[in-house]
Amino acid sequence: MIRFFLLFVAIQALLFGGELTPWAQTFFVLPWTTALARISTWLVALVDPNVVTAGKVIRSTTNGFAVSIEAGCNGVEATIVLLAAMLAFPASWQRRLAGLAAGIVAVQGLNIVRVISLFYIGQWNAQVFEWAHLYVWQALIMLDVLIVWLIWVRTLPPPDGGGGPVPPAVAAASA
Amino acid sequence: MPMTPGLVPRFVVRVLAWLPVAFAVWYFTAPVLLWPVKLVLDVVCRMGFGDLVRAVEQAGSVFTFATTLRPGGVGATGQVALEVDGLAYSYGLPLFVALVLAAREPGWPRKLGAGYAAMVPAIAWGVLADFLKTVAMSSGPLVASQTGFSALQREAIAFGYQFGALILPTVVPAVAWVLMHRGLLERLRAQA
Repeated sequence: MIRFFLLFVAIQALLFGGELTPWAQTFFVLPWTTALARISTWLVALVDPNVVTAGKVIRSTTNGFAVSIEAGCNGVEATIVLLAAMLAFPASWQRRLAGLAAGIVAVQGLNIVRVISLFYIGQWNAQVFEWAHLYVWQALIMLDVLIVWLIWVRTLPPPDGGGGPVPPAVAAASA
Repeated sequence: MPMTPGLVPRFVVRVLAWLPVAFAVWYFTAPVLLWPVKLVLDVVCRMGFGDLVRAVEQAGSVFTFATTLRPGGVGATGQVALEVDGLAYSYGLPLFVALVLAAREPGWPRKLGAGYAAMVPAIAWGVLADFLKTVAMSSGPLVASQTGFSALQREAIAFGYQFGALILPTVVPAVAWVLMHRGLLERLRAQA
């Protein structure tokens, strides 16, 4: 567990440091955030046509209310934490890649729910928006990361690699 | 925690049930919960930023840094004081409480105490980094120039602020919870 913890901290620091570089911001974070805004707007437009997007900003054409998806709200940091947790935990690369693929979809999927919900909460009540934005959704996204990781850990074979004693018939067949 | 196929879903439901309660308790007890953070800030500011910070005050959940810096502008008098809301860096506390209570593991009061002790320095980091970021980068050149921070130090402050704002508040409680529930993890893997 100590090895896991140290690896987790090192990988996370490395990825987070990399994310903050101008290169990563220009070529990954900003395009990703813009895509997130477009996807969110597209989903909202299925039921509410009075929404437009400009870059990373989602705006209501009815009342002018807008949200800008900033660092911490684009799911990149949550994905980094999940990535670090899966890479640090002992598992085969096949299982890590499968876990990451499913995990990123789960984290980013909930993040889209966060963006859309905040867009409407903000139009309804500024105080509730502040609470939801600054505290509640931050905690829920990290809870999502933790749950995805726990489910992934549950899918891994037991630490001994065999899942318990091998039945005699199987042992004989493989001999 | 019972080892059944519905282990994780039931755990999630219990966390979601505890979260609103934990958030309410956290919000109303924040002045008390954040008092140790003020003590940490006092010590760190005295030892590391004595030439910059005269005193750290706490009112509710808000920390006020009384600085030695003079406001910019012709004829400006007095000294700069900056406020940082501790709630913005301590919302991991209710998450941790909900996780621990939902796990229903023995020794949960001790775990709550240990997790809280682990989170206090992380909260102090966030608050201090927020203050430093504001004086070094957001207060304008007349104030920032008085701090004497080099370009490299400003980069370190920016990184520390981002790390303290985006990573620490939620990762510390999650990691603390995982480290305190290793038996649960092993049981999860054994069920695979």
